Amino acid sequence: MEITITGMNAITHPHLDIWNWMVATYLFLGGVAAGLLIMSAVANLRNVGSEGKDHPSCVRAALLAPFVLMVGMFFIFLDLENKLHSFWFFLSFKPASPMSWGSWGLALIVPISMLYGLSVITEDHKSWLRFEFLKRLSDRLNPYVRPLAMINFGLGIFLGIYTGILLSVFVARPLWNSSLLPILFLASAASTGAALTVLIAGKKSAKLYFTKIDIGLIALEIVLILLFFAGHITSTEPHRESIMPFFSFTSEYFMFVAAWILLALLFPMALVLALLEVRESEGEELSSSALLRMKLSAVLVLTGAFIVRIALVYAGQLSKLT
Amino acid sequence: MPRYAMVIDQRRCVGCMACIVACKNENAVPAEHYRTRVVEVVEGEFPNLRMELRSELCNHCDNPPCVYNCPTGASYKSKDGTVQVDKKRCVGCKACIAACPYDARYITPEGIADKCTFCEHRVREGKLPACVATCIGSSRIFGNLDDPNSTVSRILRETSASVLLEKAGTNPRVFYVRKLGKAE
Repeated sequence: MEITITGMNAITHPHLDIWNWMVATYLFLGGVAAGLLIMSAVANLRNVGSEGKDHPSCVRAALLAPFVLMVGMFFIFLDLENKLHSFWFFLSFKPASPMSWGSWGLALIVPISMLYGLSVITEDHKSWLRFEFLKRLSDRLNPYVRPLAMINFGLGIFLGIYTGILLSVFVARPLWNSSLLPILFLASAASTGAALTVLIAGKKSAKLYFTKIDIGLIALEIVLILLFFAGHITSTEPHRESIMPFFSFTSEYFMFVAAWILLALLFPMALVLALLEVRESEGEELSSSALLRMKLSAVLVLTGAFIVRIALVYAGQLSKLT
Repeated sequence: MPRYAMVIDQRRCVGCMACIVACKNENAVPAEHYRTRVVEVVEGEFPNLRMELRSELCNHCDNPPCVYNCPTGASYKSKDGTVQVDKKRCVGCKACIAACPYDARYITPEGIADKCTFCEHRVREGKLPACVATCIGSSRIFGNLDDPNSTVSRILRETSASVLLEKAGTNPRVFYVRKLGKAE
């Protein structure tokens, strides 16, 4: 079959150029922020103390979340073609539009997660706060750390799922149009949150606690990725076609095949490294090689999650219903 | 209020592309952007070939995914059933481009989502859309679905017109009378 389209160029094929790496970065950082909120809430609510409470790690994770989210929001702002009109996001609410839910959700999550961050700061770390009013606000919020942790846990789940729903509602893009995608993004978000908490935690016990959580989440993510592809293979022709870039060994689709191969290496490696850490952990302090493995596992998880986002964002735009 | 629709009779299209030129000229469509296009599909092996010419544009769906996915209400369904863009409200988030199964939208150099409007400015003055007015083969037919005597209503009654991507459930307002069998 030969197809000629008069008026065709890169712009008359707009589905080839909808969203770029900036949106993928936003989805990634949004996921990381969601994961940090979830993990920090878990740490505070479960009182990791008995297994070696590392309060600074809880504090850092909670404080880091809104800033990571704001960096992500900066990238999505950069992607807007008409930035001066962006105030319209907050002058309207469209219940059928996930992006509308997202913009209002982000407007809610950023301040609440900041309040949560302030509530987690204990007396020992109040010196971090430069302004007196922040210290006073933190004092007032300290008693509400548990309810705030619960709220932020919910907001973290919302944010993690939302980044997937944003893509999965597009019927016109078969690769994204899967109910598994929001769950995959949520698992990935929680996994990156755990990985980053491992990196910023000080005590060995806290690192091990979040490594154990991450082992389950990495395994879940691997299973969900496989199910995601299996779902497409067994679905309609446009869905089958939509995953072909990942299995076409041509120069045109090289980046998707490379992404697939990298993911097939990164996640299992991260899983094995994490399992080794947990099995070999003895004594109070971590050996330098164990610490290196832990950090490497966490970095692999973060890299893998970014590859998932960027590969799906780009490949989804190649998929069509016809 | 009328319910506007377009019928594209592929049996009458000669592939002159005048519709594309008229549209660009009428709507001052920016360079390298198009609101309508003509797809030529050649199938088979020589000498047993067949060719289909298919004009494509915004389908002004009754169930428009672009409108549902627009976070600011910039894309909306107007009273006459056509899908329009309020340029003042568009933030250029491109959700409508991702949502459109017909790839009918693009972003203008000003950062606004744009597409075929069924030449609403002309229709308001009682004129036909530019592509319809210029079509030398009368392949493009425009009219009111609610008027049983309109040409579009008559053609839809008398022929087995179909729509693109029917299973997407968008209920398009652009209908095709095919020269050959199923084209998709």
